[in-house]
Parts: sequence; C-alpha cells; structure tokens
Amino acid sequence: MSMVVPTAEPSDETLAARAAAGDDRAFEAIVERYQGRVYRLACRLTSDTDAPDVLQDTFLLVYRHLPSFRGESQFGTWLYRIATNAALMLRRARTRRPAESLEAFLPRFDAQGVHLATPAELQVASRADELLDRQALADKARGVIARLPDVYRDAFVLRDLEEMSTADVAHALGVEPATVRQRVHRARLMLRGYLSDLVGVKP
Amino acid sequence: MKEIACASGVDLLMDYLEGVLSADLRSALDAHVAGCPRCVAFIASYRETPRILREATATALPADLQASLRAFLRAQRSVPPAED
Repeated sequence: MSMVVPTAEPSDETLAARAAAGDDRAFEAIVERYQGRVYRLACRLTSDTDAPDVLQDTFLLVYRHLPSFRGESQFGTWLYRIATNAALMLRRARTRRPAESLEAFLPRFDAQGVHLATPAELQVASRADELLDRQALADKARGVIARLPDVYRDAFVLRDLEEMSTADVAHALGVEPATVRQRVHRARLMLRGYLSDLVGVKP
Repeated sequence: MKEIACASGVDLLMDYLEGVLSADLRSALDAHVAGCPRCVAFIASYRETPRILREATATALPADLQASLRAFLRAQRSVPPAED
C-alpha cells in the first residue's frame, strides 16, 4: 500500500524501528498516523459499536509485535493485516444474524443473455450519490455492506473500500487472488443493483 | 472470434478490469461492448459502485475515541501522560 508521507516526517519504517527500541513517542506517532484509517476499516468490517474495540486491539497487537516486524512487507500493509485480523476475530466472537439475501439485486437478463433494463436504467446507479441525500446514503451504505455474506464483505471492503491490491487482500484473507476477484465481483454486482434500487430503478 | 452476450460479458468484467483476462476474451468483450449501449451503461455503474460506497462509508475517528485510545495504550504500556 503506498502512503503519502511528507518528506520532513520520519518514514513508517523509521518510526517502527524507534518504537520497537522502546521510544514511546515514536509509537504514539504511529498511532497518530494510522488510527483514522484503522477506525474506518474497523467500521467497515464490523460496526460502529465494535470499531473502538478493534482499534484498541489493533494498536495493542502492533505494540506487542513491533519487535518482530522485519520489513518484509511495507509497514502499512503489515499494520493493515493486523487490523483486519483483529476485526475478523472480534466479528467471529459475535453471534451473526443470518445474512439476508442480496441476490435480488443481481443484474437480470433475457433468455438470450441480453440485459433486461434499458441503458438509462442500467446507468443510474453511477449517479446514486448525486440523486440521494448524503446522510441517507451513508446509513444505507453501512447497512447494506453489513448484509453482504461475510466472505464477500471482507473481500469488497479490503479491495474496493480500502483500495488494497488484490494480492494483498488475498494474503490477508488467506485465499487465492482469483477467489478475491470472484468475491469482489459478486459483491459489486449486488451493491450496484442495490444502489440502483435505492434510486428507484430495477437492477 | 467468439461472440459473447451481455450476461457472459458481465461474468468477465472483474478480470477484464484487473487486466487478467486472456487476449481472446478481452477482444471478444471489447467487440461486444462496442456495439452494446446496455453494457456501456452497466459497466459505468459497475465501475462507480466502489467509489460511491467508499465515499459514503468514509467515517472519521471521533475525538473522544482518539483520546480514549491514547489513554488505553498508555495504561497498557504504563507510560505516564506526556506533558505536551
């Protein structure tokens, strides 16, 4: 994952080395730099309620494991992997309500495999953010992502919302890149149809 | 060249956009989309979906959580509060 860090600031790797050597200010600088991103990831993978716990777990794990960070991956990638695992661990500990089906939002075709909807109808989801109230869309977006089956949710959140590379997502989730692509694709299809439905058009 | 319909084209989209589709399937999809306004419209919305949801779920860390995280981590490390 590429990070845009001003040149005057110490690099992640420099901070990590200092923090591992016991420099508390360096550790706090790492927290400062990543807390917003970890919180956002935690909200997307769990919920607003669980995100604070994920945030705490993540940085405690980072602190404990800093001495074993060897720089084999970028520091940000390493930290994101810890945050992802912390979120997934916490989610596993929760009783899951059964996932509601989002199959109804998949695209529909006629017997010849031609899209049933018109071009105008097919395009409308791409303007969902212009057509819907910002806060309403934010609420609906959080809700529908939580409704995705877990395997689709995880792949979609990491690949499309956190913009990790497919290879990094595959590594973080312990699956093949082709599996990540298949899951992200399925999630995109459902979510695209959902956005379309939100603005009142059949997917 | 193999002809494809909208439905099979949709199945290939992710691999197409990630650049891992074979050359013959890529050409077949390009040929189909060039003559299919429905697929052009569908692909536009398929590509925009991640961006719309990314922006809609870009939650900022509340200041009180930031403070409690800092206090939690200090307690865990038994570090006295900084004077700054």
